[in-house]
Amino acid sequence: MDLFSELFDMFDGFDMFSSPYVQKSAQKDNKVCPVCGRSWADFNKTGKFGCGECYKTFAAGAAQVLRQVHSSAEHAGKIPSKSSAGIKVKRRLEELRRQLKEAVAKEDYETAAKLHSEIKSIEGGVSL
Amino acid sequence: MIWYNDLNDGIIVSSRIRLARNIDKTPFPAALNSKDKEKVSKKLRASIFESNSTLSGDFELYDLDKLSRKEKISMLEEHLISPQMVDGSGHSVLVNKNKTMSIMFMEEDHIRLQVIMGGYCLDEAFDLADKVDDVIEESLTYAFDEKFGYLTACPTNAGTGLRASVMMHLPALTMTGNISRIIQSVSGMGIAVRGLYGEGTEAEGCMYQISNQITMGLTEKEIIEKVKAVVNKLSEMESQARKSLKENHSLELEDKVYRAYGILKYARSIASAEAKSLLSDVMLGQNMGIIKCDGKMTPIELMVKTAPSVIAAGKDLDPAARDKARAELIRENI
Repeated sequence: MDLFSELFDMFDGFDMFSSPYVQKSAQKDNKVCPVCGRSWADFNKTGKFGCGECYKTFAAGAAQVLRQVHSSAEHAGKIPSKSSAGIKVKRRLEELRRQLKEAVAKEDYETAAKLHSEIKSIEGGVSL
Repeated sequence: MIWYNDLNDGIIVSSRIRLARNIDKTPFPAALNSKDKEKVSKKLRASIFESNSTLSGDFELYDLDKLSRKEKISMLEEHLISPQMVDGSGHSVLVNKNKTMSIMFMEEDHIRLQVIMGGYCLDEAFDLADKVDDVIEESLTYAFDEKFGYLTACPTNAGTGLRASVMMHLPALTMTGNISRIIQSVSGMGIAVRGLYGEGTEAEGCMYQISNQITMGLTEKEIIEKVKAVVNKLSEMESQARKSLKENHSLELEDKVYRAYGILKYARSIASAEAKSLLSDVMLGQNMGIIKCDGKMTPIELMVKTAPSVIAAGKDLDPAARDKARAELIRENI
């Protein structure tokens, strides 16, 4: 967290000299978050978002920051059970397709066939 | 059992899992005024505690606004609340009966679920936190995004919201000067090594907290495995360093341990940093079978209980008075 606010102090510093680095930020517009009323400038000042909706309102900027911090902007972990079975199915399909690719690469056609039919049956079950 | 009363291994002190969660369509605590903060806090407590029999049976609710500073400090010392929650208002916490779990409300995020256990048990702690997380989710809707995962006030926690940390006592690696090199090499792996009370605190008493920095792009299990890999390596290196100290510097080591014990046993005034460093020496001596301490408190417990804020515990003590009180507490209990 400390490191993170330092990062933004650094950006603030650049800003004083109106450096081109600031203009490179993926988040350019002057949108205000409908839930908490905060702007992207507020985030730059504090390094903190005002609410969950900010991540959607400033999606491009958030993705850029997350990649800087975590080298990734794609959640791979737990999914709350309420957030629909849809995401879980999608994840399962991605995993199966990855396994299928691996099986084909290894010329393990028996496994590949099994995986293929599992993918087909899942795809038939839900509309994605 | 409180984490510092359950030490099996002299190197690995405790394991901690923390999950950061927020509720949907509601500003995070820092973006709320005190009136709205109170409203959200009430709503949270009602939906989690009152409507949930699984939790209300095992947990007790503490409204921190109604507790004295002394009581809050004592919760901090047990790591049941964060340093930020001692000051400020609108905080509350649910604590289970054996004090291994606390659910903090309105810290930086709406909910901070924490499991802390003595010894090396990250998997066990995570499984417990994960189950309680599911139970909490039954009564409310989390701020969650398909792409970004669990949404948190600080992007450094977004994704899994998971911080897995292990507290380690690494005196031999510190004495032999290897630790700074190790800290540098693991920071490149997305693992942080910090002091006893987390961010921004120094590693006094040779106590280090090893934790993940990356919370996104990996599954919870992968994050925990990463932390464990570093902890295992450090543990192995510390054992080796201890062995080599014993083989090559046996007399100096023994002398250091007994001198530390002597000062702690008889000092009339002692500053926090000196106390921690000497207690660390005694703890090392105890774990290596050099010295037996049969006092009322273990060196690690004394380390926790003689921190400046804990010694002062809400009283307005100047540093000299704190040093005197600290020396007394150690003398009587070591």
